[in-house]
Amino acid sequence: MITLGVVIVIALALLGAPLFAVVLGGAMLGFYSNEIDLAVVAIELYRLSDTPLLVALPLFTFSGYLLSESNTSKRLVDLMQALVGWMPSGLALVGFVACAVFTALTGASGVTIVALGALLLPALTNSGYSEKFSLGLVTASGSLGLLLVPSVPLILYGIVAQQLDVGEPFTIQDLFIAGVLPALLMIVLLTLYSLWLHRGGVIPRIPFSWGNLRSALWAARWELPLPIVVLGGIYGGLFAVSEAAAMTALYVLFAEVVLYREISFKKLPSVMVDSMVMVGGILLILGVALAFTNYLVDAEIPQRLFEFTQEHIKSTITFLILLNIMLLVLGAVLDIFSALVILVPLILPMAVGYGVHPVHLGIIFLANMQIGYFTPPIGMNLFIASYRFKKPILMLYSAAFPFMLVLLVALMIITYVPALSLAPVEWLKGSP
Amino acid sequence: MIKTLINALHKIESGMLALILFLLIVLAAYQVAARNFFDSGLLWGDGFVRVAVLWVTLIGAMVASRSDDHIRMDVVSRYLPDGFRRLAQRLTALFTAVICGLFAWHSLTFIGFEYEDGTLAFGAIPAWVCELIMPFGFTVMGLRYVLHMISPPPLEPPDFGLEESDSRREAKS
Repeated sequence: MITLGVVIVIALALLGAPLFAVVLGGAMLGFYSNEIDLAVVAIELYRLSDTPLLVALPLFTFSGYLLSESNTSKRLVDLMQALVGWMPSGLALVGFVACAVFTALTGASGVTIVALGALLLPALTNSGYSEKFSLGLVTASGSLGLLLVPSVPLILYGIVAQQLDVGEPFTIQDLFIAGVLPALLMIVLLTLYSLWLHRGGVIPRIPFSWGNLRSALWAARWELPLPIVVLGGIYGGLFAVSEAAAMTALYVLFAEVVLYREISFKKLPSVMVDSMVMVGGILLILGVALAFTNYLVDAEIPQRLFEFTQEHIKSTITFLILLNIMLLVLGAVLDIFSALVILVPLILPMAVGYGVHPVHLGIIFLANMQIGYFTPPIGMNLFIASYRFKKPILMLYSAAFPFMLVLLVALMIITYVPALSLAPVEWLKGSP
Repeated sequence: MIKTLINALHKIESGMLALILFLLIVLAAYQVAARNFFDSGLLWGDGFVRVAVLWVTLIGAMVASRSDDHIRMDVVSRYLPDGFRRLAQRLTALFTAVICGLFAWHSLTFIGFEYEDGTLAFGAIPAWVCELIMPFGFTVMGLRYVLHMISPPPLEPPDFGLEESDSRREAKS
């Protein structure tokens, strides 16, 4: 009877039932089979109001929506171009950095490809980069920056992992610090790839100009304090993460609506509503996943899963290899928020059992998801780019493939060199 | 009559979302300023902010249910023939409606306990009032999925939500 229920729920999930209903159905089925009153699922959902950190998600998401509705993308690209465009492969580097910053601020919902791709693609092809390289760059960079503050998936991982209480305490700030070097590694490797591909000066260099830098800085003047509001607050320990989110939302609101006047008061409510619908969808899944996780823990499923894998997989390295393969596949199939709230509760206890630090696992997890976004044949960003730039999907497969290989190398290093993520955290903790 | 009611509900949902977000930003920022500069703050502020997150979640999810915009896996369904996709839409809508109904019912039991306990959420506001959004939100979502089951939303070409959203069109008209 219960088995039949499980089969039906899984079948409906594959047929495209909303994930919140699937997870909620699973949780109810589980509690029902353990003869627990189903009112418990409501108690679990109400726990959404028990987690002070959660308020950071609507606030950062709203800031991201505001930024993507205004001309921030153009100012960001102009500024990056004035700063690093003169280097060899400069425009490619501009693309990587601008996309990473933009994705960190807006989340990897395809906005980066739509907003920055439209600017970068013509700029790249006009300065001599091949169409294939340029398309691959904007597609692969659409999820670059997931590991950087204040990326919503990074915060969500922290929230989910902290709920689990696996005996290795960490803070959200630890995650923010751990993500920096891996993200830089990705950008460096991608730039090296571009340098190697365009070796021998195929692409003419653009000379550096103080005039351009000055005008780009002037254009971005109201947004330049933004990194200080976000980063200074969080890294400097001046405010908590949720407070930094509030200051960011207030500042972005003021900058885009009052100073730049790019979002009218009339348009503001619809941006607010759109961003909150997005947040509602994510947090509802988080809420029902809390209930589902509670059932899993009650039924000791993560523990049994760990015992089962330990019989077959002895070494941490083998575990990590299999984890990477599994996450790459799931990253292409599941959207990142559902993957986070559903998979992390199952994987984290296992990973800790194999001696993987929760912070390191978070970085591995998101790095995998980032690549999953454009893994052929079903990575979401491939379809977005194909739709947006009116190119056949097969062309995007071959364009994005080399970038995927480069990022897979980065993923290997990130996975097998934990110090890349953890050493800065330790170091900052060690120094008073 | 029913049309007017539905329109009114849409307006209330959108209005509540914008209002709560606005209050969240103002209040959270005020709390930061008060704590850091005056070493004070509203006692009920943090409680309000946390309940507001629950309300934003449920009202946002209600709006997403209007046009069945919830997060889902579409690896399989995307490649099914149109006839099958229609059937799948009706089946999954039925399932979602049933689950929403079950949740709404059981959340009422929970609220009953909380009413008897007389727990306070923040200030003098009892917890059960804040929790009412759960049965209400899930009832509305369930009803919307009943409608989706009767007449499934059109199979749109996959534009990944890059086109104008519901609320924006609404704001324009």
